[in-house]
Amino acid sequence: MENSNSYSPYSSSSVDSTKPSPSESSVNLSLSLTFPSTSSQRETSQDWPPIKPRLRDTLKSLRLRQRGYNTALFVKVYMEGVPIGRKLDLSTFSGYKSLLENLSHMFDTSVISGGTRDRKHHVLTYQDKDGDWMMVGDIPWDMFLETVRRLKITRPERC
Amino acid sequence: MDLRLPSKVLEHILSFVDSNEDRNSVSLVCKSWFETERRTRKRVIVRNCYAVTPEAVARRFPEMRSLTLKGKPHFADYNLVPDGWGGYAWPWIEAMAVKCPSLEELRLKRMVVTDECLEKIAASFKDFKVLVLTSCEGFSTDGLAAIAVACSNLRELELRECIVEDLGGDWLSYFPETLTSLVSLDFSCLDSEVKLSDLERLVSRSPNLKSLKLNRAVSLDALGSLLRLAPQLVELGTGSFSDKLDQEAVSKLSQAFSEMKELKSLSGLWDVLPEYIPLLYSVCPGLTSLNLSYATVQMPNLVELLTRCSNLQKLWVMDLIEDKGLEVVASSCKELRELRVFPSGAEGLNDTNVAMTEQGLVSVSEGCPNLESVLYFCVQFTNAAMITIARNRPNLKCFRLCVMEPFAPDHKTQKPLDEGFKAIVERCKDLQRLSVSGLLTDKAFEYIGTHGKKLRMLSIAFAGDSDLMLHHLLSGCESLNKLEIRDCPFGDTALLENAAKLETMRSLWMSSCCVSFGACKLLSQKMPKLNVEVIDEHPLETRPDSSPVERIYIYRTLAGPRLDMPEFVWTIQKNPEIGVSHLAIK
Repeated sequence: MENSNSYSPYSSSSVDSTKPSPSESSVNLSLSLTFPSTSSQRETSQDWPPIKPRLRDTLKSLRLRQRGYNTALFVKVYMEGVPIGRKLDLSTFSGYKSLLENLSHMFDTSVISGGTRDRKHHVLTYQDKDGDWMMVGDIPWDMFLETVRRLKITRPERC
Repeated sequence: MDLRLPSKVLEHILSFVDSNEDRNSVSLVCKSWFETERRTRKRVIVRNCYAVTPEAVARRFPEMRSLTLKGKPHFADYNLVPDGWGGYAWPWIEAMAVKCPSLEELRLKRMVVTDECLEKIAASFKDFKVLVLTSCEGFSTDGLAAIAVACSNLRELELRECIVEDLGGDWLSYFPETLTSLVSLDFSCLDSEVKLSDLERLVSRSPNLKSLKLNRAVSLDALGSLLRLAPQLVELGTGSFSDKLDQEAVSKLSQAFSEMKELKSLSGLWDVLPEYIPLLYSVCPGLTSLNLSYATVQMPNLVELLTRCSNLQKLWVMDLIEDKGLEVVASSCKELRELRVFPSGAEGLNDTNVAMTEQGLVSVSEGCPNLESVLYFCVQFTNAAMITIARNRPNLKCFRLCVMEPFAPDHKTQKPLDEGFKAIVERCKDLQRLSVSGLLTDKAFEYIGTHGKKLRMLSIAFAGDSDLMLHHLLSGCESLNKLEIRDCPFGDTALLENAAKLETMRSLWMSSCCVSFGACKLLSQKMPKLNVEVIDEHPLETRPDSSPVERIYIYRTLAGPRLDMPEFVWTIQKNPEIGVSHLAIK
């Protein structure tokens, strides 16, 4: 077990194989419980921070409403291996192309979305409103803006 | 000379002894005191439904009128216990139906309650009066209808944060016209709309109604007419507070609130619009309890409300209150005893630029001399703040700090939060409940073990360096009753070395730690009076002893291994022939 004085990943013994494993800088906190769930309110199995299901649902709808009022759309962006993240206003980009260009510039490396698994390139993933980590680029840009919560630039091997 | 107290005299004396803690002591004096006590106990509380069998409880307390049961471990509230784990109410209800048909009150927490259970209650207990279900699941509104139609002396029906299959609002219409005994009704966790006319008639014919908690579907307009029918309410949970009302309706509602001279507790207030906050001003001075966890209102409006609540003892609010709002609480709510501040942007996205830091809690600790219970969600914290809070409030009994960023250090010094928690446990000598968070080393737990002598419940997440942490806690905290741990790097040594301690506790929960399968087997063999449950998605039969398990739940029990375990729960009774390789354990 690594020393938790550095921002090291904790050992998650139950890991959904579609999620990237916890990175040094951004701890993936949704322990995925892949047990069959009889209760529909338990489908989003988020367990951090420790708040009860009813409050969690209320907060989700609060965030969605706030989205409607705000014109800015700030999300946090982390790169694996870098403890400090950045905040980005997604509303300033016209689409995926300008987002990737900007990120590549910001993190001084080549960032791509899905597709080619190229060792040289970092791949951009995002966490959606259900807490799941997805490849950037699969859905139309407008839909992406509705659902994105945070971004992570991962090393290609992890995906 | 026979110096024994005649049992009739003892019975009379015991009729004044209410507290179960005292009654438990009485029952240990001698056999005849045990007998007299058990025959006269009316209120029975079983805090772990698997610690004892329903039959044993019914046998011991034949005059039971009120039964309280708790099922799943606390971390089930945060989705850490898989569905189907257990906590079924049925065996208890079935047993009591036969052995204690005079049962009047049932209070269940974190249990699986089915419609069948509710129908059985309705059919079996002729004088049933009180049903309180907290964080329960497994039933539908049909079950509620069964209770409503049959329990002719029903006084309390409360559903607190239950997960209910909502088949519609008809269940409310099943309360017969002859039912006039209702004192408390709480259906705030249901989604469907109930028929307003049925609700109004029910309220009109319930002169003893003191507590009414509506669900979100009850409109603001409807609230007005209900309040006019029940101005005597002591506790009110409103429905949605965001419908647009015309001027006349608003002034009628304002009038209705001002008629409520007895109101002490207010909750609900879903989506309350800022322009409606003044409607509440007339009841504020009388309030002792205010739950704003669903009121998504910004700081300036909250301040207006709170300056008027000079008698407030309990405040639950979202972090939209900000440090400024908490300063107002500190200066206006001098009677405050309990404060809970919940996160409004649960994943750290602060769209509204929420300005709530550790300073807010420091202000309240300075201004409120009676503050004894705190639950505070915050993005980050400092040692200095905790030291100040401890110095201000040595009378704290419950301190639950949730620093939401795991491993977050003191944001001013970048050091671990060890010193802060040290101050808390050192100064607050009566501290019974503690939740820690943020960056913590083993030192923090050494302090807790050394000073936390009255600590009964401890919650830990993402903390510590090694096994020493667990060892400090199990060997140091004399009063420890419940320990729940997630995502901490402990392994087997501390657990096995302190195995005997586990029999003095109600339960231990550990998830995503480093406890090996082999250690679980060893512990099970060593401690037959414990149920050692391994809760793991992956099949265990083929697991090597050295591999870590996902979750363990250990509790003392007189009932032996339970018979209702699902596939993903393992205890040693499932594989008694598996040998244990000592070499495989770390």
